[in-house]
Amino acid sequence: MPTASVEVRHLTKRFGSVTAVDDLSFTVEAGRVTGFLGPNGAGKTTTLRMLLGLITPTSGQALVNGVSYPSLIEPVRAVGAVLESSGFHPGRSARSHLRIIATATGVETSRVDEVLDLVGLTKDAQRRVGGYSMGMRQRLELARALLGEPAVLVLDEPANGLDPQGIAWLRSLLRYLASAGMLVFISSHLLAEAAQTVDEVVILNHGRLAAQGRLSELLAEAGATIRLRSTEPERLVASLSARGIGARREGADQVVAESTTPERVGAVVAEDRIVILEMTSSGESLEDLFFSMTAGGALPARELAQT
Amino acid sequence: MIRLMKAEALKLVTIRSTYALLLMTAIGTAGIGVAVALAPHNHGIQRLLFPPRGTPAWYDLVFSALALAEDFALVLGVIIMTGEFRHKTATPTFLAEPRRGRVVAAKLIVSLGAGVVVMAAAAFAALVLGLCFVAAGYGGVGEMAGRLGQALPGYLVATVLFGTYGIGLGAILKNQVLALVVGLGLTAVVEPIIVAAWPTVGRWFPSEAARSLETGSSLSRSGFGGGLSHLLPSWEGALVLIAYALALSIVGSMTTLRTDIT
Ligand SMILES: Nc1ncnc2c1ncn2[C@@H]1O[C@H](COP(=O)(O)OP(=O)(O)OP(=O)(O)O)[C@@H](O)[C@H]1O
Ligand SMILES: [Mg+2]
Repeated sequence: MPTASVEVRHLTKRFGSVTAVDDLSFTVEAGRVTGFLGPNGAGKTTTLRMLLGLITPTSGQALVNGVSYPSLIEPVRAVGAVLESSGFHPGRSARSHLRIIATATGVETSRVDEVLDLVGLTKDAQRRVGGYSMGMRQRLELARALLGEPAVLVLDEPANGLDPQGIAWLRSLLRYLASAGMLVFISSHLLAEAAQTVDEVVILNHGRLAAQGRLSELLAEAGATIRLRSTEPERLVASLSARGIGARREGADQVVAESTTPERVGAVVAEDRIVILEMTSSGESLEDLFFSMTAGGALPARELAQT
Repeated sequence: MIRLMKAEALKLVTIRSTYALLLMTAIGTAGIGVAVALAPHNHGIQRLLFPPRGTPAWYDLVFSALALAEDFALVLGVIIMTGEFRHKTATPTFLAEPRRGRVVAAKLIVSLGAGVVVMAAAAFAALVLGLCFVAAGYGGVGEMAGRLGQALPGYLVATVLFGTYGIGLGAILKNQVLALVVGLGLTAVVEPIIVAAWPTVGRWFPSEAARSLETGSSLSRSGFGGGLSHLLPSWEGALVLIAYALALSIVGSMTTLRTDIT
């Protein structure tokens, strides 16, 4: 069996005058968890639905294991998907809901009880889904995604509505599945959570690719924020600025240099013989990276938070 | 395809509304049967139109209540198709089988079986009603059962095909309320008007095509009600209904059902 893959090539989707996804290309590989990040309306859900054959692209291709989703021989055994606004008949029990999918796809019924157990719904399996809480519905969605024991998982906001235990459980499940060789592609707004879960990120802004790569590398590239205390803060700022390092004074004797590395700052200080009393370095967080990559996005909240 | 059909059948048996619909079919059939049976027919012109109670012709009239099953099969067909969109189960359904036309085909086939069950509910109610009338002294069991047996095949075919017509309407309209309003509105309001105005045009419409099946087996064409001579031969009526179901389903699969599931 060839290894699982997800590939998007020059994918574009227009809804009337709205361009939801704009000439987007990226690939996702197996054996790791890849985060699909972007502000509201960036086009994540639209991209994932195109990948799953639910939305027809305006142009371009979205391929799973090298073919379009509808061309997969047994799609449910190849790809497990959790999607926003996927529904349940409120009058049907969770078990019946899964049995229907299992029947339609030839998955043995015993697997239904297995996945119900896996997501912790065994006790409520006979209850009608109409009475389920949001987190329980999300668990049921996850159970459905896992039904066919797929090698590719495509999850749109899977942590939606999950309680802290649920989120921790999901994180360890996804990490485990990825380490077992599965391809896990997951959109999320919970950046702190994603930072702990994902190995790679695909960052989307206004339907276009803003960044892609290993999270650790992207963070290293983005550099760190260095705080220094000096007897000559004024001269330090001038020296750093002269070498193209963004720096500003803070408080009486502090200087903050951004998007750089301790090595570069250290070299400047040594060269210009400036006395340093203290120096600390803090790496960029996924959140910082996200905001810098999606700056100019539809996020007034960020501006509010900064002022 | 077998898997898809099994899944579609499971969808029906795992919700209560299916059973509620069957119950309503039975109660409705009995209710209409009683109303027809008790209609005043002892004076005036009605004496000429209504056969005396207990006669075979009277039983034909009572059992015309079976036609209600057609409407319920239509409703069930519409629900089978549009329920996917109403409850957003279209997403899991089309994830499981991305070839949407196959899902519609499975629904068409399963709606045939569903139509049989709807008819069974109506037939059961009619039988019970008939036995009550017999017990009340109207005619003999043999005559009653004979008329029922005579009526059933035509109504059964009409009901089963009306279910597939409902699937077709649902496939092309997608919206449950719209499909129900259009389906029942055509049957109950628009078609009778057209039939009254232009019988030879009206006979090509679904409910008149269904009527050709009913009358084909239960009432002689020259008999009760008059004005039935415009109807198509039964087999043509059946073909017309099949054509409606297939045409609507195919066009729906190629248009409405192809659109984005968001
Ligand atoms: N069916 C639709 N009709 C019209 N516009 C749509 C439709 N679906 C999505 N859009 C638009 O496409 C854009 C991308 O939407 P999408 O749902 O893919 O964003 P998203 O990244 O998933 O956002 P969120 O983080 O809020 O889930 C938005 O501008 C949205 O309004
Ligand atoms: Mg979304």
